[in-house]
Amino acid sequence: MAVSGFEGFEKRLELRFFHDNSTPNKNPMGLRLIDFESLDQVLTQVQCTVVSAVANRSFDAYVLSESSLFVYPTKIIIKTCGTTQLLKSIRPFIHLARTLNLTLRACRYSRGSFIFPNSQPFPYTSFEDEVVIVEDSLPKESLRHRKASVMTPSNNTSRAWHVFTASADVEPDESVVVVEVCMTELDRVNARSFFRRKGDEKNSDSAGKEMTRLSGIDMINENAFICDFAFDPCGYSMNGVDGDRYSTIHVTPEDGFSYASFECGLSLYDDGRGDIAEVLSRAIDVFRPSCVSIATTYGGEDYDREVTKRVERVLAKKLGLKCRSRLMDEFPGSGTVVFQSFTPRRR
Amino acid sequence: MGTAISNMLGAGEGNESEHSGVTKLSSSAQWQLHFNGMKDSNQLLVIDFSASWCGPCKSFEPAVRHMAVKFTDVSFVKVDVDELPEVAKEFDVTAMPTFVLMKNGKEVDRIVGAKQDELENKVTKHRGGQ
Repeated sequence: MAVSGFEGFEKRLELRFFHDNSTPNKNPMGLRLIDFESLDQVLTQVQCTVVSAVANRSFDAYVLSESSLFVYPTKIIIKTCGTTQLLKSIRPFIHLARTLNLTLRACRYSRGSFIFPNSQPFPYTSFEDEVVIVEDSLPKESLRHRKASVMTPSNNTSRAWHVFTASADVEPDESVVVVEVCMTELDRVNARSFFRRKGDEKNSDSAGKEMTRLSGIDMINENAFICDFAFDPCGYSMNGVDGDRYSTIHVTPEDGFSYASFECGLSLYDDGRGDIAEVLSRAIDVFRPSCVSIATTYGGEDYDREVTKRVERVLAKKLGLKCRSRLMDEFPGSGTVVFQSFTPRRR
Repeated sequence: MGTAISNMLGAGEGNESEHSGVTKLSSSAQWQLHFNGMKDSNQLLVIDFSASWCGPCKSFEPAVRHMAVKFTDVSFVKVDVDELPEVAKEFDVTAMPTFVLMKNGKEVDRIVGAKQDELENKVTKHRGGQ
């Protein structure tokens, strides 16, 4: 393991807003009407920048220099890696939403455990400090239902899942299930796909497209339009857009601190887009990692033990990954969160 | 890590009267006129499909304007998918921005997304060869 290198593990922030019922001609586009200059200013504070973008009727998807930003009419998801100052975006986003008459409904901040925790700036050196900063950034007296928790597997205390939620309602307002997969110790041969080839004479867009194809990422969900980007000399990011469903992959391929993440919002039950276990299996197969964690946030969907068990069965059968721990917790506004850790069956 | 192109994007040049080479086609009649006029031409036509609520489209506007100024031998037009839905449908536009490159009335290439290097490369590639 390297002494220090790029931190792949992301910090994730999700802000959800009430629909604006105050004006007679309420615009269904909500947050999407925030002008780009203002968005760019927020990103500058976080220390990242837009490198590629695409949109459809449902949402805007931006690939950032350090991960991704999704803007829906009443929801913002921003995910950043490295040593970015993600929490600095909370106040400005809330302010921009207010100028559009949108009131904050829920806030969720989550992350795994950093590979290089000592390289993080304040407050990211301690989850307790992060929670203080998040709470300070929320409007006083708002979002009455709050909870912070660290889910730590007993067999691997260095790879925990940290969650803070604050919500105006106890019950989640959304039924989309969010799945966040974190992978480390990527197979070295697979990771090579994410290095730029010397003298390839491609630009970042076409190199990204080639990586998407060669790695098999385009087969994870064939319905999705993929907006990809290849970094120099290595690294890859993509956002997938499929109706109102987003997906996103970020890769740090360097040996010693290799990392890949896969995240998507989906429905639990097969609706023609491939069931969750198959999708996860395909995504993880791209990287063949030695260490995988999956955090599933159920939102308004009821926790379904069969789904969790099926994911474990499929990953065991197809990828030889054994589930080493399974933790569950409930969060106001976010519902059930299940955190599973996997390592190969035989080392 | 990453290319800092955000000084090209959203750089606040918001003077709407100065379309600098990008012609907005707002009606069916304007569209027909321009499109039919280019059918028998060797000139490269770049159609920028976007929407008023599409953030990525807005982030990319300055870059497109810059390209239109740079490539004076190329015709850049902009179509709003809500103003001309039948044209958007005819060109099978589902994600935005979508840039369709046409020559002699035929599609020669297409870029989906705010991809500056890709768009510039393809415009450069197709604009010549009269």
